[in-house]
Amino acid sequence: MENIDIINLWKLYDKKLEENLVINRKNAEEITKLKVQSLLKSMRPVKIFIVLTGIAWVVFVDILIFKFFSIASPFLLFSAIAHVLLTKLALGIYLYQLILIQQVDVSVPVVLAQGKLTQLKSSTLWVTRLSFLQLPLWTIFYWNKSMLENANIWWLMIQLLVSTSFFAISVWLFLNIKFENKDKKWFRYIVGGIEWNPVIKSIELCREIEEFRQEI
Amino acid sequence: MTSTTQTDQFIAVVETNKRVIYKVANSYCRRTDDREDLVQEIITQLWRSFDKYNHEYKPSTWIYRISLNVAISFYRKDNRRKKITNPLHESILNLPDEKSEAETDANLNLLQQFILELKELDRALMLLYLEEKSHKEISEIMGITETNVATKIGRIKILLKKKFESIKF
Repeated sequence: MENIDIINLWKLYDKKLEENLVINRKNAEEITKLKVQSLLKSMRPVKIFIVLTGIAWVVFVDILIFKFFSIASPFLLFSAIAHVLLTKLALGIYLYQLILIQQVDVSVPVVLAQGKLTQLKSSTLWVTRLSFLQLPLWTIFYWNKSMLENANIWWLMIQLLVSTSFFAISVWLFLNIKFENKDKKWFRYIVGGIEWNPVIKSIELCREIEEFRQEI
Repeated sequence: MTSTTQTDQFIAVVETNKRVIYKVANSYCRRTDDREDLVQEIITQLWRSFDKYNHEYKPSTWIYRISLNVAISFYRKDNRRKKITNPLHESILNLPDEKSEAETDANLNLLQQFILELKELDRALMLLYLEEKSHKEISEIMGITETNVATKIGRIKILLKKKFESIKF
């Protein structure tokens, strides 16, 4: 079959649709009366809530750090400062997503609109990576000088083992939670589930867009 | 402009372009339920953008951009968001005897199957090629250069030919 025959086949299909496709005018009119949300605007309230709650939380922790800086244990200070910095980075990603949601317009060229949409979704992976990086902080924030001086050696060993393991796992996850590992079992276990499929598909499309743009 | 006039104008645009909307939806969703949802979502987004239509481009460019963008994004959406953006329970475009139509034409079935096997962006390009859009309009819809369009269309033609040849022999 030549290409011209294929085009003619498509024209025949178009003709069949022209003859048989019926529009339900009443339902189409309903659409114009509904207060529907855009593709992305439905995501905005959740993100705004997260940003506002996050800002309140980091302000609260910042005040605590400032207030108790001179008396707090170095472990607590280190944990709080690292936690607040990582949370601020995650908040930055959420703010970036809110800006992208505002910018996405489905009436612009396909590659442009899809590029923005995929950036939006794939940035979610960064929030997960940053969240895992906070893990070891929760195993050291309660340490203090007198506890370390007076503690049983076994208790100290266990504590050290737990913190070191959490540190190693969190750094490893931070470095390895990436698209290239999407088919690995552990990745599917951690970043699995229906809610993550759109993120993975978005990153796949991101790669496709990059290839599509290239004039080869 | 009164809102009734605007609604009438919009319905007229949908009526004129119902085949485009259906073909795009059918190329991205073959399950009837999903396709009906996608048609509804495309029409919803067309209505949302109706006020902002840019007269610098042909109406077909506008229709294709929105339909393709919505279709490509649609498959990534989770069900919760589908429910938020698709509030109607009845379909807007109906094709009576849809099954028998498809079954009668093996070549058309094969072509549609081939379209479904393509990646999302290549699928969009393939549709525009089959619709005999000019390279200029394809480049405006897709957002790539005309040279790039020509190269990719050339590849699609070869692929198509090979596909049909492999079935025949």
